[in-house]
Amino acid sequence: MSTVKSPKPRRFSRIAPDNDDSASFFTSSEHLPNESAIESSASSIHLDVETPKSSYIPPWTEPYIIGVAGNSGSGKTSISQKIIQELNQPWTILLSFDNFYNPLNEEERKQAFNNNFDFDTPESLDLDLLVETVKSLKSGEKTQIPVYSFQHHNRTSKSTTIYGANVIIIEGIYALYDQRLLDLMDLKIYVDTDLDICLSRRLTRDILYRGRDLAGAIKQWETFVKPNAVKYVNPTMNNADLVIPRGLDNSIAINLMIKHIQKQLALKSSQHLKYLKELGVNIDFDIAKFNIKILPTNNQTRGINSILFDVSTERSDFIFYFNRISVLIIETALEFITNYKPVRINHNYDGLRLMDEIMAVNIIRSGDCFMSSIKKTFPEISIGKLLIQSDSRTGEPQLHFDSLSSEMARGKKILLFDSQIISGAASIMAIQVLIDHKVAESDIILCSYLSTEIGLRRIVNVFPKVNVVVGKMSSIEIGEGKWYNEENFKDSDWHFRNRFIDSLYFGTD
Amino acid sequence: MATSQEIEKNVVLLPQTNQLIGLYSIIRDQKTKRGDFVFYSDRIIRLLVEEGLNQLPVEKATIQCHGGNEYTGAKFLGKICGVSIVRAGESMEMGLRDCCRSVRIGKILIQRDEETALPKLFYEKLPEDISERYVFLLDPMLATGGSAIMAVEVLLSRGVQADRIFFLNLLAAPEGIKAFQEKYPSVKIITGGIDEKLDENKYIVPGLGDFGDRYYCI
Repeated sequence: MSTVKSPKPRRFSRIAPDNDDSASFFTSSEHLPNESAIESSASSIHLDVETPKSSYIPPWTEPYIIGVAGNSGSGKTSISQKIIQELNQPWTILLSFDNFYNPLNEEERKQAFNNNFDFDTPESLDLDLLVETVKSLKSGEKTQIPVYSFQHHNRTSKSTTIYGANVIIIEGIYALYDQRLLDLMDLKIYVDTDLDICLSRRLTRDILYRGRDLAGAIKQWETFVKPNAVKYVNPTMNNADLVIPRGLDNSIAINLMIKHIQKQLALKSSQHLKYLKELGVNIDFDIAKFNIKILPTNNQTRGINSILFDVSTERSDFIFYFNRISVLIIETALEFITNYKPVRINHNYDGLRLMDEIMAVNIIRSGDCFMSSIKKTFPEISIGKLLIQSDSRTGEPQLHFDSLSSEMARGKKILLFDSQIISGAASIMAIQVLIDHKVAESDIILCSYLSTEIGLRRIVNVFPKVNVVVGKMSSIEIGEGKWYNEENFKDSDWHFRNRFIDSLYFGTD
Repeated sequence: MATSQEIEKNVVLLPQTNQLIGLYSIIRDQKTKRGDFVFYSDRIIRLLVEEGLNQLPVEKATIQCHGGNEYTGAKFLGKICGVSIVRAGESMEMGLRDCCRSVRIGKILIQRDEETALPKLFYEKLPEDISERYVFLLDPMLATGGSAIMAVEVLLSRGVQADRIFFLNLLAAPEGIKAFQEKYPSVKIITGGIDEKLDENKYIVPGLGDFGDRYYCI
């Protein structure tokens, strides 16, 4: 007997996994699963010391695409939903063919209402639009999905915006029909259910949920659905990697399929992690060569750091002093903004006027610690948000939510806030999200209180033009004190590798 | 962060970055509305106070870090207090409180005597133990230096050590700096901008108008 086991619940957190070597960004990846597969892919990652710039491929640029085809009523949708439920991945999207019907003209709509329109030929679908949509999703862009209304037989004015998909399930009777779509898919599934069962399911659905009558539904089945199924749909079974007989009832086949998808996704995420880990290791890292500013070590910063690092500091003091140092970090960040126009003030003073508009983007919730200081510096600033969490089992960063729009961000200087840079992965991902929203790399100013050297190396390795302000940076190796690290803090020190700032600031520990 | 410069002994000027000049351009502009004037003045005042705090000595201290590490950090040393010269100086109290929550603040009222045209002390209320403290003297404008000199006199008579006084102002005239320094060379001036000169009416040029009037809108 085999049953589909529900997966262990995942915990997402911003704490870099401590005591777990296999998941840590600070150790080699020897213990990661699927070792051999990773090794083969690693050889394709080439870090050139001469040209340190590497490109970052976020998981949403290479989403795992699954096609699910089968006759109308075969159980495609149920199986797709089962996959989504079992995978339990953030950003799994179901792309249904139902939303890609061609809009009908007046004449066709009349036929449709009389059940005289053939919705079951490939011609009734806007396959070009579907291919474009999937391509756009696959390149990581923010994509609009049309919404089709069966009541009106027309595309509605609404659309759904999708960005950052990890897994895309394309579901429809013609999912395995168009070669262009087949080329984009990682796994092709055909659900092979007996046509009698399909008919009974279809009747139930059409009559109960789609407002048709029995005679009309039967007529449509006989004139359009069945002939098309035999003529066009059934042959696409040959394009499938996997045929599931009996639909959702076939729990063994579904179980096997989900195991396979999970394995592929684990592989993909460990490659993503492995790639992130290798970034920044071999670069010639001299902070003077990059747009990096670190707060000077003076009485004031030494004193504030001492209070913030001290275990015996009360929370009210912690918040107060963090707000103080974050004002200094923000003021320093503004030094990266150089677009000022000379203005003559009151006929006697040669002043300067800031020509750039500034927007803040916080990484929830660590970046939110800066909120009060941001408001103190720019009372009317618009603030975008990103939720990026690391999977507690693997440490892989994942984008869960964004509230940003390209219109909002266009042409502005973006202050990106995260109170700590530990592995650098979340920052890299956040910068990539901004770039996907048409923000120029050199217009981004990443502000952080604490940063490890390895984290910063990875960031500038991928984004050498990005600007960074850091309150205090640790070093990879113990050695002679750098000017910015007289205290000889190491990347492996607890307070540099653990996300404690936001826990203390918001008081949730 | 661009660091402040000690342009001459005991005169510290905030780094003249674009953004600082941008802030001054806003508060100098006569067309700037009061809300903006107050907001942007407060931003500059905060930078002045942070620089003032940076001048205070610290002592080494062993810090028990989160996670069990130990390192040699720094502990702020000594007690401080603010002393504002009424009325314009009071506008800087908020900025001081933003950086030192429970700081004690004394007040000194100095007015120009109509008969002699010399500054005259009308009122003072200072913390009892001011002689043991570092003092931030607050007055946004250093023009002739007359009232600031008189305020320092008051502080010295209360036993404050001259090298523990920091005079914070947004705008200074070279004449004022000179007069002040000749009288009290060991008091440190921390300023956000040094203007060209005083005009015949002893106003700072180009200046920013009467700070108190613009801040309190009277």
